[in-house]
Amino acid sequence: MSSIITLTLPGEIMFARLASQTASSLADLVIGENREESAKRKFCHAFELAVSEAVTNSVTHAEEFDAPQMLTVTFEFEPRQLTVSVRDANPPFSIDKSAPDIESYPVHGFGLKIIREIMDQFTYRRDGDANIITMSKSL
Amino acid sequence: MTITETSKIGIAILSLYGTLDALSAPELRNNRSIIDPEKTVVIDLQQVDFIDSSGIGAIVSASRQKRQPSGGIVLACMNDRVRKVFEITNAQKLFHIFDDTTAAVDFASSRQSASA
Repeated sequence: MSSIITLTLPGEIMFARLASQTASSLADLVIGENREESAKRKFCHAFELAVSEAVTNSVTHAEEFDAPQMLTVTFEFEPRQLTVSVRDANPPFSIDKSAPDIESYPVHGFGLKIIREIMDQFTYRRDGDANIITMSKSL
Repeated sequence: MTITETSKIGIAILSLYGTLDALSAPELRNNRSIIDPEKTVVIDLQQVDFIDSSGIGAIVSASRQKRQPSGGIVLACMNDRVRKVFEITNAQKLFHIFDDTTAAVDFASSRQSASA
């Protein structure tokens, strides 16, 4: 059995932090008390970082619109896995799997690289007019 | 994020506290010592409890404002969380990184003297 929590947020950068801190808190809740402290910290940090990257990307792309777009962050708890989905109404974007260059300017393209590195699974799909990024990690 | 600024032998030391993300990155980008192209700055990252790629971007952007990109920003006291994000993005190769601020300031001072 799974449980689902959904946040609906304005596409403004301050809410990226709210989403990432919520992700960390929920990860801490899910992983429980019996894990080693270092494993707990690593798990919570992974979700905080992945959600920060995904929501910041959404908000940054939403700035192309005149009015801030709403976005939805959904957390799904399963017995041994936590999954986060970020859904926005931005135009589609390409998933470039090549490594971005840190020496390029301005620095961009690292959000997805970080997510791929720290999460067990990452998918991007287009659903009608929406982008959906889904990220999960096992407990 | 809070930025505390001190100075030692002419080198600015910015100690960052808290979260360095897209929301707080402008604070660092607009810091007076950061935007001065002649000023060598040591950034102490020990008390940064969260950084993402926007935060990394702010530090890289700061280094690009310096007359000497490879020596204008020197990093010190990376904790494990910060180090991990630097490693994933490969940003560590752009900076001289020291375990303590004293070594960082000594290095920054020598670079500043050499370029004077």
